[in-house]
Amino acid sequence: MIYFQVLANGLVLGGLYACIAVGFSLVWGVLNVINILHGTFIVLGSYIALFSYNLLGIHPFVSVVTAGAALYLIGHAVQSTLVNRVIAAPVLMTLTLTFGLDLLLNNLMLVAFKADYRKLVLENPLGQLEIGPVFMPLDRVAAMGLALLLTFLLYRLLRDSRIGRAIVAVRMDREAASLMGVDVSRINAVTFGLGAMMAGAAGSLLSIVYPISPLNSGMFLGKAFVICVLGGLGSVPGAIVGGLALGIIESFGAIWFGPEHAVTISFALLILILIFRPAGLIGKRGFE
Amino acid sequence: MIGSMKFSRRFVVALGGAAAIGLATGGVATAQDVIKIGAPLPLTGPLSPEGVKQQQGYDLWAEAANAKGGIKVGGKTYKVQLVYADYASNTPRAVQTAERLITEDKVNFLFSPFGSGAAKAASTVSEKYAIPTVAATASSEQVYDQGYKYLFGTFTPNQTLTEPLADLVTAKDKNVKRVAILARNDLFPLAIGQEMEKSAKSRNLEVVMFEKYAIGTMDHASAITQMRAAKPDWIFATGYINDLILIRKQMKDLGVKAPVVTMIAGPAYQEFIDASGPLAENISSAAWWHPAVRYKGEDVFGTTEAFNKAWADKYKSEPDYAQASAAAAGAVLQLAIEKAGTLDGAKVRDALAAMDAVTFYGRIKFGPTGQVTSLAPPVFQIQGGKPMVIMPAEIKQAEFKFGVN
Repeated sequence: MIYFQVLANGLVLGGLYACIAVGFSLVWGVLNVINILHGTFIVLGSYIALFSYNLLGIHPFVSVVTAGAALYLIGHAVQSTLVNRVIAAPVLMTLTLTFGLDLLLNNLMLVAFKADYRKLVLENPLGQLEIGPVFMPLDRVAAMGLALLLTFLLYRLLRDSRIGRAIVAVRMDREAASLMGVDVSRINAVTFGLGAMMAGAAGSLLSIVYPISPLNSGMFLGKAFVICVLGGLGSVPGAIVGGLALGIIESFGAIWFGPEHAVTISFALLILILIFRPAGLIGKRGFE
Repeated sequence: MIGSMKFSRRFVVALGGAAAIGLATGGVATAQDVIKIGAPLPLTGPLSPEGVKQQQGYDLWAEAANAKGGIKVGGKTYKVQLVYADYASNTPRAVQTAERLITEDKVNFLFSPFGSGAAKAASTVSEKYAIPTVAATASSEQVYDQGYKYLFGTFTPNQTLTEPLADLVTAKDKNVKRVAILARNDLFPLAIGQEMEKSAKSRNLEVVMFEKYAIGTMDHASAITQMRAAKPDWIFATGYINDLILIRKQMKDLGVKAPVVTMIAGPAYQEFIDASGPLAENISSAAWWHPAVRYKGEDVFGTTEAFNKAWADKYKSEPDYAQASAAAAGAVLQLAIEKAGTLDGAKVRDALAAMDAVTFYGRIKFGPTGQVTSLAPPVFQIQGGKPMVIMPAEIKQAEFKFGVN
């Protein structure tokens, strides 16, 4: 009986994980930039939601839009002014740049917001849904639903819009896209902005689930990394499959081997995936 | 040789000049009139909330001591100078930092880095250089049982928290039989989880679950699902503030209720209460100190009320146990230096070892290992959004309440 609950836990957690990873995956897959800033962007989204709720009474589900928009602007600016200068350099160079920017932004947040853990306490929480022996925390379920909806919208954007096709084209072959008249550096900036937007939206949704502190950025980044490798880079379905897989594996791993081994199990699995399916569970084909 | 001759001649001239000015101005403070105390702290990184608390405590003590002229040593008065160094929540770096403070900054005394793990690691260095060291936030006995002579701690051992809690709960309700423990896999949180297991077993309570979770765990749903299946009467969760906020939230999410829920260490901090909101209600805990205790001390702060007031004036908040313990570490060191009447490390060390004094923080007498043994940590419970003292009886503010929903 306990397994139904564990499966439910894993699915809900996995949905949140997918939402953490999708923007990171997009930027890595399209730009070949490992964006170390991603975790800090998520935390910034959480702070936007926290302050919007505490000062203006705006529900975090609404802040998803403003946090996403704000982070899009920040992401776009960071790419077009800084990262674009080294975009053609080896991956280590862009990694170092985003790492440095992350130190800067994260420490600015430490100064501005302090390291204290805060929590967005909803006045009217959604409560729990009991289905027989299974408890579903509705705020997590709603956050997961919205996260999946946003992810789906991103997927449609990539598939159906002109800009989306251009992003996909750049991902597949940068030179060829450039020869076809795609403004590659603009597409880079839009893609980086979209990645940051997804991080901001995720942060806003996660604000009702996790305590908020600049110190959490490393944890979010670590999860995003694992999910991308699990699911495959640069693909929206890959992020969803990777997120759900990680959530379910961690949940069952914790039950069978004890919670102290949950992380060990997910990394052991990561190594196996890298050996046997280096392109991830879905692989590169997932998103065209 | 020539260089040093030159130097000393210039030095003599300078000295003469200084003496002339000194006569006119009534004496100039020289470097010898300062006592330097090194404090390696995690001012950045995951432990920075804790590091800042300790720094606040040291700062308040140094200000209080200097406001009264300084520390009296023999016939002279010395100003307190704190030398801070950030080790970015990285324990190996805490050890290097402690060594650098001793060898390069030439500190006379040391305050340990945060927590049991780092305090233990750094104690090796202060022992090597024979620098008397006071640990303000290390409670685990494994820190003090190394046979070191220069390390002293202001937190009593872990079982002094779990024993009164177990006494209280079992005395109030004989039906509390099943205990579930969820502990962070880290030196202090795991050690206190194990003490709870001992305290429970010695009272014939059944430990129906004992699980550990890894540092940095972001989801406790599986452990809490297991907990629900074990049907405990008493849930005992250990970790730091972030872990405990998340565990409490997920207990609610998964419909876990119990007559007694104890969490260590976090509920004593205002941040926990703010972050958990109504979910903090009836959570019990224990800490080494509480602003409601009342002592008449012979230290620089005097009474507990005076300390609370000095704290509120400076920081506009109530002090918690970690902040108070840091201030107490300074106050205790000051008493020992004044008693020894010298800055000699070995003599101050002996004065610390022989100390039996009442301070604003409580009675301070160090056991043979250097850990304080003379304090009875208060048990408290969050009621109406405030930590209310339940035990000891002399300072009780409220009755213990059952039921955490």
